[in-house]
Amino acid sequence: MQLKRRSFFKLAAVGAATAISTPRSALAWQSKAPADAFGCLMDISRCIGCRKCEQACNAVNELPLPVRPFDDLSVFDEKRRPDATKFTVVNRYHSGRVDDDKGLPVADFVKIQCMHCQDPACVSACITGAMSKKSNGAVHYDADKCIGCRYCMVACPFEIPAYEYHNPLTPKVMKCTLCETLLSEQNKPPACATICPTEAITFGKRSTLLKLAKKRLHDNPGRYVDHVYGEKEVGGTSWLYLSNVPFAKLGFLKLPLKPLPRLPETLQHSLFSYLWSPALLFTLLGGVMYRNHKQQTLQHPEQPGDVS
Amino acid sequence: MIQQLFRLKIALLVVLSIMLMVQPSLAAIETVAAQNDDVVWTAPGQEKARQRAQQIIPMVDKVKEEGPIRRSQRLHATELSIKDAKNTYFLLDSPFIKAQEDHYGPVRFNHGQHAAASGDCSICHHLRPADNSSYIGDSNHPETVRCSACHQQAFHPDYPERLGLKAAYHQSCTPCHQQQNKGPVTCSGCHLNKVPEHKQLVKLPEKPDALQVTAECLRCHEDEANDMLHTAHWQWRGPSGHTQDHSREIRHGKGTTALNNY
Repeated sequence: MQLKRRSFFKLAAVGAATAISTPRSALAWQSKAPADAFGCLMDISRCIGCRKCEQACNAVNELPLPVRPFDDLSVFDEKRRPDATKFTVVNRYHSGRVDDDKGLPVADFVKIQCMHCQDPACVSACITGAMSKKSNGAVHYDADKCIGCRYCMVACPFEIPAYEYHNPLTPKVMKCTLCETLLSEQNKPPACATICPTEAITFGKRSTLLKLAKKRLHDNPGRYVDHVYGEKEVGGTSWLYLSNVPFAKLGFLKLPLKPLPRLPETLQHSLFSYLWSPALLFTLLGGVMYRNHKQQTLQHPEQPGDVS
Repeated sequence: MIQQLFRLKIALLVVLSIMLMVQPSLAAIETVAAQNDDVVWTAPGQEKARQRAQQIIPMVDKVKEEGPIRRSQRLHATELSIKDAKNTYFLLDSPFIKAQEDHYGPVRFNHGQHAAASGDCSICHHLRPADNSSYIGDSNHPETVRCSACHQQAFHPDYPERLGLKAAYHQSCTPCHQQQNKGPVTCSGCHLNKVPEHKQLVKLPEKPDALQVTAECLRCHEDEANDMLHTAHWQWRGPSGHTQDHSREIRHGKGTTALNNY
């Protein structure tokens, strides 16, 4: 016999009451962003598109040399993405800006790499803890824990983590490391920041960089778009950007300001704390089964369980 | 006989042109030609410039806050001029940059030339220390302290808004060269790549003739030689506006009557 409409509502009400009565404090999502993280501030108005950062990154991380050398600027003819062989790329954009003196279009250059989010979606999505956010700001990847599910690649709002598809035996997820080893062992800034000839990349504590970015906005009226990309996007990122051209024209995504792990983690943690939801589900199902069985035996008392 | 001399002349021109293009190896080749004499040509004041480049002076803590126009006017009023500059030839080769990376040799900078061309010290000396006492250095005047008095290591945690020395150079030099349409704007325009010592690389007989020397250069520098074939050094012809009194008379050249013998 089917579950009656009235009985269904009764059961649903019990479930809802249990869900609401669960203490809220246990559910409230809290950011795990490190308080004193390092970061980098990229000033797009300073970048000259020399690709030295790509070269330094390639050398430091011992990545394979590209087919086209680093001084070949014709790579700018197409938009590139970081992949398993390059952790960072610089792309050229023509936003319509024109040189005042010569009347020629002026190019802007944007460096892309892992943004090292304060509350990274990849860390939240990783089921083995291979991705973690370190106190120094780096989103760290531990190949020993990785099972290759590539959830991190799906979760990343910036589409950064890449995979060594060509490597059948020991494939790894590849992405910018914030030169963690340089930072922790030699107290040195990331290679891309060090090599940059114009200091388009400034390295420092994220809090200091934010202040610096605000100061640059304040001291140079009209030079920049009044926005620090990465200050609030997806809850904040360790890489921050200042630009003299609207970010939307430079391929920057318009992203929610809330940390991405917040909604899924809130849902998941509230549903699974103390395993109450599976317990409730199976209790309900058990109740329904018991009830059905009881009603069946009441309606047909003369028929015993076995047919023989 | 005349033909031989002519060929020799052309060969020498080729050698000279290639030497001009491969400047760093010039000294080395000269040395070999002078039968392993260890005298290497250096610019006058080279050693002193090298020493100055190594100096580290205490960092200026506070700078006087003033706008560019006020700064320019005040600097003008002090009547500081190019005559007050003690040194004119500088090598930009600071330990602050070397500590981080070492990809290029020193950059040669002619202070006198820049001062004379710009005529306004405040273009480069854009700020000064807040007070005279805070600056201890070798400059004649606290108004015109050297770049590295304020710009030292990059990403200094105590002075986050201050550029490091390398960025200060690049941000100051390159845009100005672009605007003025003068001076180098590419990497190799200022920086010579680190060139290996050519003494060991060049292999020539005891008394080489000019063509042997050229051939030895071309052994490695084939690309440079090909590039040179497209330059004025190889293709020159016609009158030259820079030859006084004979500006209209020069009709001969490699592109016209002379033979390219290579």
